Amino acid sequence: MKDAIISWKAAGIALGLLLVVATYLVKPLGVSTQFVVSDAVVAHKVAPEFAENNQYLAKYGEKEDWGVGYGWMLVFGMLVGGGITGRLFANKQPEADKGSMPSLWKEQFGPSKLKRNMASFGGGILLLFGARLAGGCTSGHMISGISQLAISSFIFGAVTFAVAIATAKFLYRKRGV
Amino acid sequence: MTLVIGFLIGCAFGAILYLGGASSYRRILGTLLLKDMWIIKLMMTAIGVGTLGIYLLDLGNLANLSIKPAYVWGVVAGGAIFGIGWALSGYCPGTCVVGSSEGKTDAIFTLVGALVGAFLFALAYPVLEETVLAPANIGSISLESVLGVQGIWIAAPFSALLIFLAFFVLKDRYD
Repeated sequence: MKDAIISWKAAGIALGLLLVVATYLVKPLGVSTQFVVSDAVVAHKVAPEFAENNQYLAKYGEKEDWGVGYGWMLVFGMLVGGGITGRLFANKQPEADKGSMPSLWKEQFGPSKLKRNMASFGGGILLLFGARLAGGCTSGHMISGISQLAISSFIFGAVTFAVAIATAKFLYRKRGV
Repeated sequence: MTLVIGFLIGCAFGAILYLGGASSYRRILGTLLLKDMWIIKLMMTAIGVGTLGIYLLDLGNLANLSIKPAYVWGVVAGGAIFGIGWALSGYCPGTCVVGSSEGKTDAIFTLVGALVGAFLFALAYPVLEETVLAPANIGSISLESVLGVQGIWIAAPFSALLIFLAFFVLKDRYD
């Protein structure tokens, strides 16, 4: 499986350089905090009292901190940048990377869209609950954190990979992988 | 201005993840099943370049470092929960944003789940703060502060090792 639009080498080098530029201009890359910011923005609109009384949401309730800040614009940019390149390069994207029903998943769990979407939804809940508990995700902890030689990020990287590998092996155990 | 910089950096970030195949389920699961090393090689290359670049910047005091605190229990428990979610959805918080931009419905479900997960964490925060986050917090430490040497002396060999492993050692394995 060598095919992709650009190689892992090109993507890895570009991502590393982008991290260095971001660290020089503002701060290292991070994504998961912005899910809380998005929640906080909505909560402050819909139920301001509840948001103020929640210790965690209130942290992102300060005027200068919540709403459209640098980090939120970064994640919004990911949506735009991914969307634009996705349209421009759609015909170069390998077939195996397209669509919402990965063939690997389908072989193991069947063609039910509901099943795939529910697993994704549940996975999403765990992703952000875990990321906020640990203080970061793949970008903030693993890529940015390890690049700063942070002890917490080495711990996060080791635990995350160990558990994710074990979970993947368990999910696909019938394949004997 | 910072908002514009954030937006542009984000655009580049999203484009790189898409073009490099990082928003692809088969790539993520391929790495987690230890078959297709694409994603781990991509990450190791990024960290290799990033570590060297950041600590070169730091030599001139130009790096805006942001070292996360090592509250050990929270990081371990959070990493474990995150790991299950990662393998189950095939996305991480960044790639589910990119996958959503491609119109993949499983990525959109992951994104919505992630917003719910962040909300649940906010609800649980007061309890978790006392039990998991506050104890065993050994602070915002890095290998630099632990070993007590200038970061570049650790960063240079560490970067070289990661790049060497990604380029020459890690190989895809198929049955």
